[in-house]
Amino acid sequence: MSALAHTAATVLAATDYTAAEAKGIAGASSAGFAYGLAAIGPGIGIGYLVGQAVQAMARQPESAGQVQTTMFLGIAFTEALALIGFVVFILLKFV
Amino acid sequence: MIGLLAALAAEVPEKVINPVVPDEIGEIFWGALAFFTLWALLRYVCLPPLLKVRAEREQQVLADQEAASAAETQGEQVRRDYEATLAEARSEANRIVEVARVASEAQRSQAVAVAEAAAAEERQAAMADLDAARAQALNQIKGDVASIAISAASKVVQADLDLAQNQSTIDDYVNQASGTR
Amino acid sequence: MLGLQTLVGNLTNIALLAAEGEGGGGVQFPPIENIVKWPALFGEDTFYAFNKIALISMIAMIVPALLFYFAGRKASLVPKKLQNIMEASIDFVEKQVIMPAIGPEGMRYLPMLVAMVFFIWIGNVFEVIPTSHMPANARMANPLMLAMTAWVMFIGVGVKHNGLGYFKSALFPPGVPKALYLLVTPIEFLSTFLIRPFSLAVRLFANMLAGHILLVTFSVLCITLWGFTPLVVVELLSFPMLVAFTGFEFMVAFLQAFIFALLTAVYIGGALHPEH
Repeated sequence: MSALAHTAATVLAATDYTAAEAKGIAGASSAGFAYGLAAIGPGIGIGYLVGQAVQAMARQPESAGQVQTTMFLGIAFTEALALIGFVVFILLKFV
Repeated sequence: MIGLLAALAAEVPEKVINPVVPDEIGEIFWGALAFFTLWALLRYVCLPPLLKVRAEREQQVLADQEAASAAETQGEQVRRDYEATLAEARSEANRIVEVARVASEAQRSQAVAVAEAAAAEERQAAMADLDAARAQALNQIKGDVASIAISAASKVVQADLDLAQNQSTIDDYVNQASGTR
Repeated sequence: MLGLQTLVGNLTNIALLAAEGEGGGGVQFPPIENIVKWPALFGEDTFYAFNKIALISMIAMIVPALLFYFAGRKASLVPKKLQNIMEASIDFVEKQVIMPAIGPEGMRYLPMLVAMVFFIWIGNVFEVIPTSHMPANARMANPLMLAMTAWVMFIGVGVKHNGLGYFKSALFPPGVPKALYLLVTPIEFLSTFLIRPFSLAVRLFANMLAGHILLVTFSVLCITLWGFTPLVVVELLSFPMLVAFTGFEFMVAFLQAFIFALLTAVYIGGALHPEH
């Protein structure tokens, strides 16, 4: 969190920043945190999900196709959260 | 080269675009046009022949499978018939062998019986001959013994012994001797 | 000249950056607009502005249409090469998308799902095709349009097959205590009618944009660090990474097309049988 604190300190100390500049600096430095935080949960979730799917496929190889389809569905739903974090990152950083 | 590229870059009008929000209407317009055209083309032009062929192939596969299973049943039937014929033939052969065996057995026992009967008859005849010969020999021996004994005895007593008188004694003795033999 | 940049693609932008980098001495990454902004070939500032994204969309329409047309024109009971490949793709959509998500009655939606898979896939694959290097779906336009199509489709299917009872069963799921409807109904409304199309569009868009930025990052590293400086050793890392991510993005391009079609099929299947 040091970067955030640093940014806040910079923005507060340097009073000659315009509002747009201050917003840009704050946005740029919080963008990385936004994406990093958004990636934690889905990372754990996808790891767990794929691990369980592999276990299921190893136990019952004949149902591998069905498990795979369901696994992709689950990955898609879980991954959406990380991707929304990524979009927030883009919005904070570049817009 | 770099000058050309710089000139190219300078020609690009400075228009800030949003990387996330779809603010270029043209992209949506052409994208929608392309997608819905593709959908319509696939729906009405491109896919029907392929789907028809697939359905036909499925029909064919089903028909072929049916034919194959029919042929299989037929083959099974043929096999069963053949097996039935085979079993029949085998039991027939068994029966024939059994009949032949019984017949030969009867023949054999008959032959044995005939042979045994003949043998028994021959033995009977031989026994009768033997008995007759023995009785004859015995009678002859009886006469010889009596005369020898009388002559011997007359030699012993120095007198003629009458054969007729001592006949009974000799007979007794011979009988005893033949009895004890 | 505008057209040239539109067609030649990112290489121009990256080369420009490399030139700037040599002058400024250091690695400079392009501003995000540079990698998604394309001048129009014609019709600038009108609703039919035809830029590179539009061009890729048109290619993504024409290529599958032609492939299926030539495969189906001389369709025979024993398939030839092209027919075999296209039938395999139909089989893939049937076995992997429709059967698990909808069931046999979903074969009606086969043309839409095949069109989706091919349109998205070919649009995505331009991410790794040399001289193009721009996935059409890294702009929000196509994903949004496709997600709205899927949204209209599954609501339409639900209303067609279940009447207005579809909304009732979607918003008031059976087997929930009455009092909980206060909580469940707004959540169901949000998740079914707002978040579904949004996440469908964002998933495709963000995946492709992220892959695009990844490839651009490693391309910039490879180009700007090439020279007689000690930094050239980074090439040893950045160039294999570029190659590896190109392969990875080729896979992601297909995976995203498959997942988009699969999710659309799942939503349609849920609208067909709302009791599940």
